[in-house]
Amino acid sequence: MNGDKTKKILAGAMAAGLAGVVTTGFVAGWQRFWVNWIFWFLFILTIGLGALFIVALEHVVGAKWSVPLRRVPERLSGLVLLMGLAAIVALLALPVIYPWTNPASLSDPVIAGKAGWLNVRFFAIRVLICVGLWFLSYRILVSGSIQQDESKDPKFNVRARRFAPVFMVIFGITITVVAFDWISSLEPAWYSDVFGVYVFAGTFLAGLAATTLAVLYLQARGRLRGVTPDHIYNLGGFLFAFSVFWAYIGFAQYLLMWYANMPEEVFWYKERLQGMWGPLVLALAIFHFFVPFFMLIPRDAKTGHTRLFWVAMLMLVAHGLDLYWMIFPVLGKGPVFSWPELSFGLFFIGAGLLWMRHAMSRSADMPVGDPFLREGLEFRL
Amino acid sequence: MSNRTFSVLGLFDSAQQLMDAIPPVKARVPGRLEAYTPYPIHGIDGALGLRKSPVGGMVFVMGLLGAISTLAFELWTEGIDYPMMTGGKPIFSWQAFVPVMFEVMVLFACFTSGLGMLFLLNRLPFFRHPMLRSKSMPLITRDKFALAVEADGLELDVDACTAALRAAGAHSIEVLEQPAPPGPVSPNFLMRVAAGVGISCLLAGYLTYWGVKVFPIAMPMTHMLDQPRLDPQSADSFFKDGFGMRMPVTGTVARGQLPYTIKNQDDAAVLGNPLPRSASVLKQGRQAFMTYCFVCHGVLGDGTPSLTAAYGAKPANLMSEKFRNYPDGMIYHVIMMGKNAMPSYAAELSEDERWAVVNYVRVLQRAMNAKDSDIPKETSK
Repeated sequence: MNGDKTKKILAGAMAAGLAGVVTTGFVAGWQRFWVNWIFWFLFILTIGLGALFIVALEHVVGAKWSVPLRRVPERLSGLVLLMGLAAIVALLALPVIYPWTNPASLSDPVIAGKAGWLNVRFFAIRVLICVGLWFLSYRILVSGSIQQDESKDPKFNVRARRFAPVFMVIFGITITVVAFDWISSLEPAWYSDVFGVYVFAGTFLAGLAATTLAVLYLQARGRLRGVTPDHIYNLGGFLFAFSVFWAYIGFAQYLLMWYANMPEEVFWYKERLQGMWGPLVLALAIFHFFVPFFMLIPRDAKTGHTRLFWVAMLMLVAHGLDLYWMIFPVLGKGPVFSWPELSFGLFFIGAGLLWMRHAMSRSADMPVGDPFLREGLEFRL
Repeated sequence: MSNRTFSVLGLFDSAQQLMDAIPPVKARVPGRLEAYTPYPIHGIDGALGLRKSPVGGMVFVMGLLGAISTLAFELWTEGIDYPMMTGGKPIFSWQAFVPVMFEVMVLFACFTSGLGMLFLLNRLPFFRHPMLRSKSMPLITRDKFALAVEADGLELDVDACTAALRAAGAHSIEVLEQPAPPGPVSPNFLMRVAAGVGISCLLAGYLTYWGVKVFPIAMPMTHMLDQPRLDPQSADSFFKDGFGMRMPVTGTVARGQLPYTIKNQDDAAVLGNPLPRSASVLKQGRQAFMTYCFVCHGVLGDGTPSLTAAYGAKPANLMSEKFRNYPDGMIYHVIMMGKNAMPSYAAELSEDERWAVVNYVRVLQRAMNAKDSDIPKETSK
């Protein structure tokens, strides 16, 4: 085992990233700094939230097949805690890149009408409430499951099954708040009711893709023994279905605004379709929907390790592209990707992977105390 | 014995016994293996060596075909056959085509999977399937599991099959005969008749369409269009002068069509109001006023309804002193001939209605400029 070596590489990458992150602020400007911060923190946060949603989904519907895999999304959902801190730090971004914090913006009647929601104090309160609710949900759903490894106490399953529906409500509200507050309010005059659902679709996909990647990674190293292609098939099926869902919601939002052609709505798309953003949107449609869709149609593709690995990797990159397309146009330029973005990526992904390594050392690979584990292992299509 | 045998059936007590029996039977006798079970058994299709279902491929092809043909159809109707601008959008607006494409794709795919599975692959209805007459069927639908060696066109060695099934643990054997050749009115015959009728209907409809549209051999019923009659505003050979319409006979007046010769508004002052100011006349006047006049002049006739303000028009304030001093005839003249931006209402209002409106305007003027002396004595006390 060269665990220490990997750890050193990750820590080194993170340190190099941190140097780039600090330099970005002083050299490339604080606007670039905070836009990057928002983008990367949301990228990691949505992976964690998607994973937490998968955990809760299992408890809500009483699924048995996913019990052997559950520890993977449980570990991934720990990213929510790390990114909760990043969210609190990101409050400093408000005066720099969020136009509604500027009092002059209130001369626009639309933005003035939203002042009751978009003001710094209420924004900060919402962030704190969201982070608190996520922390609470993590404590109940994930920490309880890890404790069950030792205690083998089936009471946890009852408690999780009771709490999971509550979490669904919490999740629905907080993911919408994340979408409206952190992403949509970068353009405070814009509004779209379905935006929260759109971000949810991306979030769930990101969580699924990360879970699939982690499962395949562990399997390739001979861990997760007893997980069969039948289990993997379900993950592939979920990826397939929700890439279609994402495309459906994304296109529905675009179609309605395109039809109505109201200036107060379409400017958002206009900014995000002009210049080099146009080809980028095309790439988004191709890599977030068409390629995964056609690659995952055959039955064998959903169980084949190599293909599923690349599709899941592609989904994760496409999710990043999706967030990038929503957030970066506020810089008022074409797509930029240079050393600031790379160093932020090193810093955030390095931190996330280190956090995951830590989580992996803290618990067994499967929820060994769960009474349904055996039934889950026996699952066949 | 003979090729009259359809299959040899062996009954087992449990799903596990059935699964265990498949490999030895498969090794000992040729022929196609088929299983009949009260519920689906995981992994049995693999054990029986069934071919992969072609439904997925069929659905894929038909779905793609549905999407592409719909796109082509929409491009043709919207862009080539009857180009029509909608909502200021370009003729070829692919965005508007997507929902229909999506729906037709789903429709094609659903029909293909449902009908293809039932009719193409399973060859339903198959009422004469020997299994339906077998003595084992009632047991299979309850708690027994059957493994059958089917002839499938080959000649079946019944003794060898029986021995193989016995050796594999079957506790009872049943030999099923080939179905008797169908009678003249078989389900297949009925299906063919139904299909024939359906195809004939389609053909007849298509031929009628072409017969009427392209080769007008038999026109549809157009008697009302073809009858001899005089059309307004068009030439006709019926009269000597070649006009379809007639001038009024010299010296006559049509009912309700009194000639109006006054050109100047001031000259109309001499016209006398033929109607009394009775309740029924005022009611008629209000009816007409509230239909045509109030849109611009306002409910109170003061020229300030919201509609005119929105369009920047300035209709006359009928309550002003100028109009209060007009004689009835001058108001009548304006209704008859129009004034400034106001068009003539001669076509909308009959002779009586015009005078009734004049009376109603008088009532409005009096009501809007009421004096103390107008209040009845009893009330003022």
